[in-house]
Amino acid sequence: MSQYPSDLKRYGGNNYDTYGGGGGGGFYTGSQGGGGTQASPGSEAKGRGANTLRPVTIKQILETTQELADAPFKIDGVEISYITFVGRVRSVAEQTTNNTYVIDDGTGTLDVKQWVDTDAVGDGSAQQLNGQYVRVLGQLKSFSNKKHVGSHKIQLVTDFNEVQYHLLEATATHLHLTRGPPEQFAPAGDGSAVATSAYGQNRGTGDVVMGGTADAGGRLSNVSQNARIVYSTIKKDAESSEGMHVNNIRIKSHLPRDVVAKAVEELLAAGIVYTTLDEYHVAVLD
Amino acid sequence: MSEQTPRINARYLEKFVNHTVRIVGKVTELYGDSAKIDASGTINLILTRECHMTVGNGVELVGKVQPTGDVKVLSSWDLGPDVDYNIADAVVDATHRYKDLFYDV
Repeated sequence: MSQYPSDLKRYGGNNYDTYGGGGGGGFYTGSQGGGGTQASPGSEAKGRGANTLRPVTIKQILETTQELADAPFKIDGVEISYITFVGRVRSVAEQTTNNTYVIDDGTGTLDVKQWVDTDAVGDGSAQQLNGQYVRVLGQLKSFSNKKHVGSHKIQLVTDFNEVQYHLLEATATHLHLTRGPPEQFAPAGDGSAVATSAYGQNRGTGDVVMGGTADAGGRLSNVSQNARIVYSTIKKDAESSEGMHVNNIRIKSHLPRDVVAKAVEELLAAGIVYTTLDEYHVAVLD
Repeated sequence: MSEQTPRINARYLEKFVNHTVRIVGKVTELYGDSAKIDASGTINLILTRECHMTVGNGVELVGKVQPTGDVKVLSSWDLGPDVDYNIADAVVDATHRYKDLFYDV
């Protein structure tokens, strides 16, 4: 698991960190919806599939569809390119040019082929994976109507919780693509997102006007809900070009001190606000 | 499809009588040819000779649910002590909530 995130980054699309799902994981690898700007992921997805890494179950792989013989495979109406899944190795067949693994993840079984590096032939390492859980990274192929995955990487899973994590990640990705992003990650400027703040009930009505964020909607779509609240607070109540003191932001936004500090840090990092007189005065970059 | 082994826990035993299933649980009692595990409730296991389990450790098993509610183990794998059973429960929940990704029928 420890080496895995770097691989994800390499193969993942540029949307990988969009929703800040945490350093190691991140759920939305396959978000071909373009960060939520496209209404129908299926129709506009063409071409974007080339750079995505999607976590899937073997059942999803077996049920992929192809519109034409050589057309890309689709899951949930979205093209797939690189896929990753976790399963137990049922058997290993070592051949001169490639090793074939039969992998079972409880949802189905699938052949995975990996070309043998000629320098490393016959070290027996393939057989050591037999019976173990592995994470497979590769591309789906079809030969005489039989699907297999051509794998770039087959890595032993050392922490069983990764198996469970993967199944949940595959589920989350499926839901993301079929139902859109979770409400709290919806793009800014979308009125429905306002009510989801955990601090919503503490806010005095009218203190924070979220509607004013529409002009920065593009930039704000990648920051947290709290950062958006802080942003609109500064935008609405800053009295001069010096911006607003963080203590005032705290009072006006009714957010706890550490939450404000974190949100300001986030906005600074995103280049949405900047500090003025000192590090405690923050103004919106228009 | 016979090759599918849906992930279940004690709450789903009744629904999967005579089915081959996959269970993750914590071994609580171990006898010669039977064992008890905790997987959101106690499950009685009927063991084969090849089963190697350790009390206190997690176990993943593939087995067939008997009409009595016991599970006859076909294969099992020791998972060691560091298993997050809350995630296992979440996976079982997702499995049955979003069946399309996990099993037919």
